[in-house]
Amino acid sequence: MPAIVVLVVVFGVFFLGWKYYSVYLAERVYALNDAIPTPAHTLQDGIDYIPTNKHVLFGHHFTSVAGAAPIVGPAIAVFWGWVPALIWVVLGTVFAAGVHDFGAIVVSVRNRAQNIGSLTSSVINARSRTLFLIIIFFLLTLVNAVFAVVIGNLFVGNPGAVIPIVLEIPIAIALGQYMYRTKSAALIPSLFGVAALYALILVGRAFPIELDNLAAAVGMGPRTLWIVLLFLYAFVASRIPVWILLQPRDYINSHQLFIALGVIFLGLLIGLDRIVAPAINTALPDGTPNFFPFLFVTIACGAISGFHSLVASGTTSKQLDKETDARYVGYMGSLGEGSLALGAILATTAGITAVGLDWETQYPDFGTASAGAVGNFVQGIAGFASHLGIPPDLGTIFAAVVVISFAATTMDTGVRLQRYIIQELGEMIPEGGRGLGAGFKKATRNLTAVTAMAVALPLALALAPAGGEAEAQGFAFGRLWTLFGTTNQLTAGLALSVIAVYVTKSGRNAMAQIVPLVFLLFMTTWALVLNLIDFVQEGDWLLAPLDLIILVLAGWLIFEAGNAILKARREQPARQDTTVEKDSNP
Amino acid sequence: MNDPAADGPELARRPHRILLVREWDQQTTGSGCCGRLEGGDSEIAGASDFGRCRQDMEAMGAVYRALREELPQLDVQVVDPRNLTFLLPGMLRDARRGGASWRESFREVRRGCGQGAIVVDGRVVSSGTIPAADAAVGMVLRQLAASAP
Repeated sequence: MPAIVVLVVVFGVFFLGWKYYSVYLAERVYALNDAIPTPAHTLQDGIDYIPTNKHVLFGHHFTSVAGAAPIVGPAIAVFWGWVPALIWVVLGTVFAAGVHDFGAIVVSVRNRAQNIGSLTSSVINARSRTLFLIIIFFLLTLVNAVFAVVIGNLFVGNPGAVIPIVLEIPIAIALGQYMYRTKSAALIPSLFGVAALYALILVGRAFPIELDNLAAAVGMGPRTLWIVLLFLYAFVASRIPVWILLQPRDYINSHQLFIALGVIFLGLLIGLDRIVAPAINTALPDGTPNFFPFLFVTIACGAISGFHSLVASGTTSKQLDKETDARYVGYMGSLGEGSLALGAILATTAGITAVGLDWETQYPDFGTASAGAVGNFVQGIAGFASHLGIPPDLGTIFAAVVVISFAATTMDTGVRLQRYIIQELGEMIPEGGRGLGAGFKKATRNLTAVTAMAVALPLALALAPAGGEAEAQGFAFGRLWTLFGTTNQLTAGLALSVIAVYVTKSGRNAMAQIVPLVFLLFMTTWALVLNLIDFVQEGDWLLAPLDLIILVLAGWLIFEAGNAILKARREQPARQDTTVEKDSNP
Repeated sequence: MNDPAADGPELARRPHRILLVREWDQQTTGSGCCGRLEGGDSEIAGASDFGRCRQDMEAMGAVYRALREELPQLDVQVVDPRNLTFLLPGMLRDARRGGASWRESFREVRRGCGQGAIVVDGRVVSSGTIPAADAAVGMVLRQLAASAP
């Protein structure tokens, strides 16, 4: 099957989703009304609340929701065959992510632009706010763990990427200092930064850095050593003010996103590669997780991502000029994320042939497929880049640099946010206590101690051994990734519950939210139960308790969501008019 | 302050656009999706990571409010400097429509894609340090008057 055909068909379905389903959502489900002033107008301050042109807002929203996660999940999931992965990406994007992202903006806009954490409290109940914070805590822990493994694998597989990535740090710092000290326009300096970064790819190719000898000297594997070094980096970087490193590197990343998208889709159009992976992989080795339910938690971002509700309800909703703009910004943003996932599927099933790789060799079993997924994506991008005249070895390093830049920035922020959440948990312990609680509270007030706590759990998870193939490679990456996926789906489930309750209270049909919500919670719970059985049988006493905690959170969420939706349905006729009245006076 | 309509019917009829290029106060690419809290949660545990940006954001907010008050009929947009998919074509189109050559247009784009820039119909009237609100309104009015035929 030519990849270009898949590209055209998927974009065709996305277009139909945009043309018909998003209009149904806008008119029949969310009942958008431009006569209702948005918080950008009613609370306008020119700082946080600003009525913004929908094209401008789409640019902000899309770049905020795009990241490395929609690459990793699909790159693993094609192991079950490219058709199941593609179907979930397409249906998930059109019927779940679109509803979720679009709905999160609408509900936030109708509630004074409150973010989803506050909305869980006001729309469902106060307990749900605690649930939200706990889910976010585990989500951040898993984000940091999986991205450390992703970067570690990429450094081991692409030693040419080490020099560009390491030197990107001083480049970003220099860029930031230049911009802040001179107050100069950033376009040209930031483009120079990107050019310098890519020039360093040539240096990296000439001088690849491998840690094999050092790792052997300290009694670790090279991946393990990289992961330890990465968390040391995150420990330091998360304590540096954001304007020194994080912000300027983010500026460089904003250029890299569009460069990478251009390379993927231009390379695909020019190269006309064929998909070589099986449509449905019928030759699955023993021990492969069944794609029901694991496909639906392996691909989280790219089909539906709970984190988008944080962006949609945090910044986007404060800047929405008219209610009807929510369709363009929210639904179209989810289609953009789905396109990234599509790019990952095509890179790992078609692009890799352009660099002479054999799909069966790259995807022999689930453990290898999981551990090598991002490496395969990188090779696929190198394949697409080769059609643009870029030598495959340089293209591989280029793709690795892009993914590592994104993932490293995510780790930097993830550790920083985790530190804040631990501090918040410490503050919840009453003053004047004694024992473990008092000790924890005291420790959370010490920057070094609290940062060490933020690093310790994800580091332990990233280094956790597991049985079977994963253990042979020293990492439980596939399992960690599915745990990350389940937590991300729970966040999405919480946001969908809020939206469903809101729609029901407004006297309209909430099936567009309830169907994906039930589907997600069913698949998530099923996957957690199967994982738990495996972890217990294998005696994995690090992942088993973690899985159990997330399972309890899932049960809690099902209880709260079910209760809130049923209550809203019971009160629906009486509340209809008052809700509309309240909506019109945000 | 004067309404540009008072400076002539042509100025009032033409679709003017003012871009305020703000401070970049949020993470976006590659880290927004899985590493960012928003709204009230971004200040959890008293964190204020982007506090340093806040002064510039508030200064630009004052300029925005002053412009909306003085020139309510004009299209004023606040844009993140990284939003190049909007800024590059938007500024080029505005500058070209205002009669600038390609060379001049690109020069304006180079200056305008930076934090603190104030751009009127593709022409950069201020960049770098954000002026006081009154001064900014004066700059915008002068540029609007200058661009009138």
